[in-house]
Amino acid sequence: MNVDLILEALREGFPTDPLEPQTMPIDETIVTLTPENLRPAVQMLITRFGLRHLSTITGIDTGDEIELLYHFWDRQGLTLRTSLPREDARIATLTDLIPGAAFYEREAAEMLGVVFEGHTGLDTLLLPDDWDSGPPLRKEVE
Amino acid sequence: MSRITIPIGPQHPALKEPISFLLTVEGERIVESALRIGYVHRGLERIFQDRNYVQNVHVVERVCGICSHVHTTTYCQGVEALLGLEVPPRALYIRTLLCEMERIHSHLLWLGVLAEHIGFTTLFMYTWRDREIVLDVMEELSGGRVAHAVNIIGGVRIDLDRDHAHSILARLDELERQIEVFVRIVQHERTFQARTRGVGHLSAEQVRRYCVVGPVARASGVDVDLRRDAPYAVYDRLKFRAIIAQEGDVWARTMVRSMETIESLEMCRQLLTELPEGPLAVRAPRRVPPGEVVSRCEAPRGELVYYIRSDGSDRPARVKVRTPTLTTLMTLPDQLRDVNTADVPTVLSGVDLCIACADR
Amino acid sequence: MFEVLSVGFALLVFPGFGFLFVCALAFHWIDRRVAARLQGRVGPPWFQPLADLVKLMAKEDVLPIGAHQAACAVLPMASLAAVLTAALYIPVGRYPLRAFEGDLIVVFFLLSVPALAYFLAGWMSGSVFSIVGGNRSLLQYFSYEVPFLMALVGPAILSGSWSISAIAAWQSHTVWMALVQPVGFVLALVGLIGKLKRSPFDIPKAESEISAGPLTEFSGRKLALWQLSLQIKTVVGIFLLVNIFLGGSAAGMAPFPGLHVELLEAVFFGVKAVLILLVLSVVGVLYARLRIDQLVSLGWQVLAPLALVQILAVVWIGVG
Repeated sequence: MNVDLILEALREGFPTDPLEPQTMPIDETIVTLTPENLRPAVQMLITRFGLRHLSTITGIDTGDEIELLYHFWDRQGLTLRTSLPREDARIATLTDLIPGAAFYEREAAEMLGVVFEGHTGLDTLLLPDDWDSGPPLRKEVE
Repeated sequence: MSRITIPIGPQHPALKEPISFLLTVEGERIVESALRIGYVHRGLERIFQDRNYVQNVHVVERVCGICSHVHTTTYCQGVEALLGLEVPPRALYIRTLLCEMERIHSHLLWLGVLAEHIGFTTLFMYTWRDREIVLDVMEELSGGRVAHAVNIIGGVRIDLDRDHAHSILARLDELERQIEVFVRIVQHERTFQARTRGVGHLSAEQVRRYCVVGPVARASGVDVDLRRDAPYAVYDRLKFRAIIAQEGDVWARTMVRSMETIESLEMCRQLLTELPEGPLAVRAPRRVPPGEVVSRCEAPRGELVYYIRSDGSDRPARVKVRTPTLTTLMTLPDQLRDVNTADVPTVLSGVDLCIACADR
Repeated sequence: MFEVLSVGFALLVFPGFGFLFVCALAFHWIDRRVAARLQGRVGPPWFQPLADLVKLMAKEDVLPIGAHQAACAVLPMASLAAVLTAALYIPVGRYPLRAFEGDLIVVFFLLSVPALAYFLAGWMSGSVFSIVGGNRSLLQYFSYEVPFLMALVGPAILSGSWSISAIAAWQSHTVWMALVQPVGFVLALVGLIGKLKRSPFDIPKAESEISAGPLTEFSGRKLALWQLSLQIKTVVGIFLLVNIFLGGSAAGMAPFPGLHVELLEAVFFGVKAVLILLVLSVVGVLYARLRIDQLVSLGWQVLAPLALVQILAVVWIGVG
């Protein structure tokens, strides 16, 4: 994976997004995008750079907002960061582009209350069927 | 023909750990399958946030029984990167040695379980008997057969002297002779092949779509091995091959894992003979400066990923664990389609599930 | 009076139930011990099969609510009765308890009764797993039974008799059937493995996704009877093959003149029987279990044609 080429393509495609690329360990680059642009960016990564390997999706409740991190890898790591408002955490699904995203989105949905629009099967993955205490990784939930 | 629903799990003779499949069967062929996991979900990601980094090493070890060492390796690696620590070479060698021994142990266990599920009890008895050699070595080194508690943040806590290294090398030779017998059996024994060839097929395209890595991916022709492509610990200094097969069925996965076991033995030899002198660990501060890290390792089942975010305190703000089994589980509905019901245990064993890992 | 006592003794002690019971336990122990040693294990002590039966007799005997209680009680007894009756016509030593022209066919059918009882047990015991196991056992039955019967026909044709004891006697002054009909002998052995549902043909009962197959829901005394009938069937099947193919108790091509001929004959019979048992044990350990469709293909595409060839060869040589 050529990180510079990818960053250039992202800047061109999404000029309004903050991006702010940073390197982080271990051999990883992190880039910030707005939620609406995340899916188009992934689409571009797949079609132009053949970057299809999504390692996982991390969800974090930072207190102010819900952060989603999409970790991609192809010899080096590329993480796409996006933030969603806490009351209305919605983002487009990636499962039609990358079927392997299914379980990760389900986990983020049940642990953090994120709605992935277009995901046909957002049932609970790990939590019991009768769980009613709210998304466990949200700060307000004990 | 009418459709029947057969439940497999959560308790079932073919499963080592609880997981639930609902198979819709028409005659002897499976038409659809639904999967339910979470029976062993312990909420570990939440628990990580309530403990400090050192306590978390203990928790991380217990995410999984068989691949406990690679979990602590990935975690400690990540935290060491956040702290900017330079782990001494001797520690890295010992860490890698245990990673490879764990791989051997895991693959031998898996081969026995697969053999048992296809009715080949003899191979099961042999592989588990020879697995004892590896378990004995790990127990001598670390005090535990399965949970080793070898890694600490900053290095390792065990050591071995030259005599011990020699005795291990001798036993590894013995083990290699046995494993070569198993490889011959897998390659030539006709009933084994009759039960595993063509079963549970995954194409390279399917592997890429589901983002699978590890032996399952390599058995379908996808040439990715994190030890070679994103080297960690001392893998950049070891000579080894990534084993690739093209058939993409359970037999190919057996070949890949068996040959990988032999490669691991060779790597253990290199590690033991080239073990450098030096300290075993560096001192690690309790508080970790703010930052984030993505740490990846090649576990026996595939790519293991840890994302850790620190906020400057002595507890992590977030630890995210993605285990290889979670990814492999996503391929199962595809693999189980059009499969004979008699082959269901074979398919399930072929992907080497570790449900404790997947559920966390 | 003496007649009654001697028949009673023969039926109940030797070579009847008592003798078969002891042989069954002994053979079962040899089988488990040999298999264990080949697998690098130690194996059970000599009294293990007896201990298992005794333990089962003492355990609770329950069946699920949907099971047919009467049928499930009768089936294991029918199975045991059939194998014991079949033993009447099989000589242990020089003479069987009873013999008549055609007893080979009768014994063959009697030995099929346990297979049918097994299948019915699967259907009557009320669990999804047992039904699937029962279905598989029936499929398996059709795959090995035909070649097995055909393999037994060859010796009958060659010796000119359909009585087991006559076939055995014929071999004592000519030659063992196994030597002139090796293909038939091998097919009979393979058929016996299928009949006894031993590995690699233990498909109905040991499949890891249908628990224990047709006998899943049986426990206690009923299960003890099932196990006993299977163990005695093993003994009877092996004795049958010894008589048909290995010359029964004949010591060789011609009878030995000399003292203690009968003791020698008994010893030789025992040796041949144990040899067949060892072959069955080793084969059981060597292979992975076949899938039911693979067994059906094997039965009809390989075993049956070979058996046909063997019979044709016998007829041709016999006629010519």
